[in-house]
Amino acid sequence: MSRVIGIDLGTTNSCVAIIENAQPSVIPNAGGYKTTPSMFAVTQDGKRLVGHLAKRQAITNARNTVYASKRLIGRRFEDAEVQKCIELCPYGIVRGQNDDPRIEVGGKAFTCTEIASIILREMKRVAEEYLGEPVQEAVITVPAYFNDPQRQCTKDAGRIAGLEVLRIINEPTAAALAYGFGKKTDEKVAVYDLGGGTFDISILEMSQGVIEVLATAGNTFLGGEDFDRRVVNWLIEHFAESDGIDLRGDAMALQRLKDAAEKAKCDLSQREVVEINLPFIASDGNGPRHLSIELSRETLEGLVHDIVADTLKTVERCMGDAGLSSKDVDQVILVGGQTRMPMVQQAVADYFGKRPHKGVNPDEVVAVGASIQGEALTSEEQNLLLLDVTPLSLGIATFGGHFAKLIERNTTVPVRKAHIFTTTRDNQTAVKIRVLQGESETAAENDLLGEFVLTGIRRAPKGEPEIEVSFDIDANGIVSVSARDLETGKEQSITVNATGTLDEGEIQQIIEEHELYEVQAKG
Amino acid sequence: MRLGKDGSSGGGERVPHLAPGCDPASLSLTPAEGYLLSRIDGNTPLSLLRQIAALPAADVDRTLERWVKEGVLVWDKPGARPAPQASAPPTSTPPSAPRPAAPAPGIDPSLDLSVEMQQRVIDFEACLDRPYHEILGVALDADAKAIKSAYFGLSKQFHPDRYFRRNLGPYAARVERIFKKVLEAYELLSDPATRVEVQRGLGAEAPPAPASPAAPAAKAASAAPAGAPPPDPAAARRLRARLSSLGRHHRAQQERRLKAKGFFESGMAAFKKERWLEAAGSVRLAIAFDPDNESYRSAFSDVQRKAHEERARALLKEADGAFELSDYKDALRLYEEALHYRAFDAELSHKTGRLAWKLGADLRKAKEYAMAACELAPDNALYHRTLGQIYKAAGLAANAKRELQTALRLDPKDVEARQELRAL
Repeated sequence: MSRVIGIDLGTTNSCVAIIENAQPSVIPNAGGYKTTPSMFAVTQDGKRLVGHLAKRQAITNARNTVYASKRLIGRRFEDAEVQKCIELCPYGIVRGQNDDPRIEVGGKAFTCTEIASIILREMKRVAEEYLGEPVQEAVITVPAYFNDPQRQCTKDAGRIAGLEVLRIINEPTAAALAYGFGKKTDEKVAVYDLGGGTFDISILEMSQGVIEVLATAGNTFLGGEDFDRRVVNWLIEHFAESDGIDLRGDAMALQRLKDAAEKAKCDLSQREVVEINLPFIASDGNGPRHLSIELSRETLEGLVHDIVADTLKTVERCMGDAGLSSKDVDQVILVGGQTRMPMVQQAVADYFGKRPHKGVNPDEVVAVGASIQGEALTSEEQNLLLLDVTPLSLGIATFGGHFAKLIERNTTVPVRKAHIFTTTRDNQTAVKIRVLQGESETAAENDLLGEFVLTGIRRAPKGEPEIEVSFDIDANGIVSVSARDLETGKEQSITVNATGTLDEGEIQQIIEEHELYEVQAKG
Repeated sequence: MRLGKDGSSGGGERVPHLAPGCDPASLSLTPAEGYLLSRIDGNTPLSLLRQIAALPAADVDRTLERWVKEGVLVWDKPGARPAPQASAPPTSTPPSAPRPAAPAPGIDPSLDLSVEMQQRVIDFEACLDRPYHEILGVALDADAKAIKSAYFGLSKQFHPDRYFRRNLGPYAARVERIFKKVLEAYELLSDPATRVEVQRGLGAEAPPAPASPAAPAAKAASAAPAGAPPPDPAAARRLRARLSSLGRHHRAQQERRLKAKGFFESGMAAFKKERWLEAAGSVRLAIAFDPDNESYRSAFSDVQRKAHEERARALLKEADGAFELSDYKDALRLYEEALHYRAFDAELSHKTGRLAWKLGADLRKAKEYAMAACELAPDNALYHRTLGQIYKAAGLAANAKRELQTALRLDPKDVEARQELRAL
């Protein structure tokens, strides 16, 4: 039987791990790197590049190089986050036929699922080269706050990449699995995960080989890239002031600024001051212009301190959900490259009143955790059990546009919950059950997962019929909802097929296209 | 498991019986399915079930097969249960004891689940009706740590991920059901707010402890050892239904109470302004959101009476309108509906009965209405005359004669009654 790999499909970098001889190990790619940039590019002559190759040519081919597409996956074109990306990304983002954002590179509009599949395929290839055997099964991680469509798109991407996705698990949960692997102690652990594009916080408890997620919270649109962006904007403003040129419209300049900002940010984790030098960044009537400026750690901290403060608010909320105070936490684990920043480490240490755990590599720990879960599910031994939770509340829309939650977020799955509802109009013979996911009190502000109608209710004054609505989530996170008129016994139900942005036909079509491309590439 | 595969040695009639520990109340069934399930008593064979169920035979088979898959039913042959190897110990042997030579009913060695574990599932399922702390196997006053430890231990046995991709047959659904129950018990007992409710529920519904009649009931309950007699299972089920709708978060409950209060207040405001229908609707919603609030229920009867009056008035107005437009059928329907709210109204009963008779609709119904009118107002000649006329139309001459005579006695000048009587 082939082995199960764990893939951390990150916003900026991806990583793959496997269990070998009962120990998890991270698989290096052909270049010897343990992480691979989540980047994809189409060159002038139509060649497709992934990972380091794509990153290396990004500056000269900014318009046809895709990065951070994870921020767009599973979203609607109208979403504010998508609009924000359109403004900032050098590559083109267009409206797809399913109202999804699509990325235009090399003269073709790619769906975000497709881009993710290209990166997953690369990770699969990395693993296969290392193992010398085909790999078919994977556990893939996503940010804890990904909603159903985002998770489903990631799952679809796995399928397109030729992987059977055994389970989608949350990144912080994976980090905790990696931390707890082989430990016999009873501990409460906080995982603070500030990656390239997302921020997650999870509180977990481990004991007797069982890991229970107590609470999880986060923000799918806050991460290291925002730090970079702050620096880029600072550079743009500085340049506009000193040279009177706005660099915003220049895709190539933007890409150079972005690279320089990221490098400066990383360097400032070690040093107090860095110099940013970008010769020939622009030109006007007076000839070429160069950008040269010093950035201090203090200035950087001033630019981003509100982002860090925002993450702590989320931490506070999560601790409230877990019913714990900061001193109840035994161990704090930092995950994600952005947690290398001294200010972030200090803020987290101050909040919990203890230094974060040093033993894990923030770039690799998530993939390691994913491989551990893959092993826990499929191996005979089974000395580890993860009690995972549902990340967002589930419920139905009620009279007046309200959202009635039946399953609160952070509820352990599998689970079943039921509640009695009634009619709101006299002689109402049908009710529409709209299944929603989200945290807003207002129905319209949550995601609609599906809807169905229960008919044949006895004509009666409003409030008299009793309709039991029940929610079931199985261990794979599949939600089914049923509504039953307790008087007549009539029942309607749906299985909420989390839909990504692609339907089955489109997925098949992409799989075929990719096979065709693989054949061409080989030939 | 599939039909046909299970009659362990073939031949004879196959008989389904309920799987041990299965709680039929936890299933969602159509009335026809509910009826079918109620006929399954461990003695009635499949062939008979096919005949007596309110479903086509194919549907009966399909439904039974589904239930077997879901672990609700197991197949058995009558007389096969006392194992042929009569010396084997009874099937209720605790799981730790040596296994009986013949597998217990429901045990299927071909599954990817050890026979011991199958027995454990069966035994555990049989206990799911017991109080929450017994499901977890902890004392009623166990501390948070003990509760969590028990929950983790049971999770390791019953979480579906333990059996990822394994062929568990009907046990897959049963294991998941057990885990959900364990989770429910853990959630309710680990949250101090809901735990108090659970303990109070047990205290209120447990029979008084005969050993220490002097001890205050509440104290006795909280001190009761784990081995105390379980409360009436139906009561426990009621309690559980209530508690599970309470959910994990007490906050949600409070929100609902708050909503209920809001509805109740707007209902009372409407009541003061004599907008009865609106008031009743609001109070009904308040009760729906907070079913345990007695004051809402007691206020509801007043509000409902007023609302019924208003509804009846509206219906009557509509009915009279229909009547004037010669839309008699509609008028009759509306009068009948109004009568539902004004059963004490003799005049309305009479009017409805008369209309039903004139429309040649259901004469028996017409008679009922007219009789009701006569009962409510025994001295009204007109009502007796109508009743007599209806009897006459129905061909019941003796009754007709009696009613018409009564009418004439009450009102000797009633010409129509006289004519009718003469015609008889």
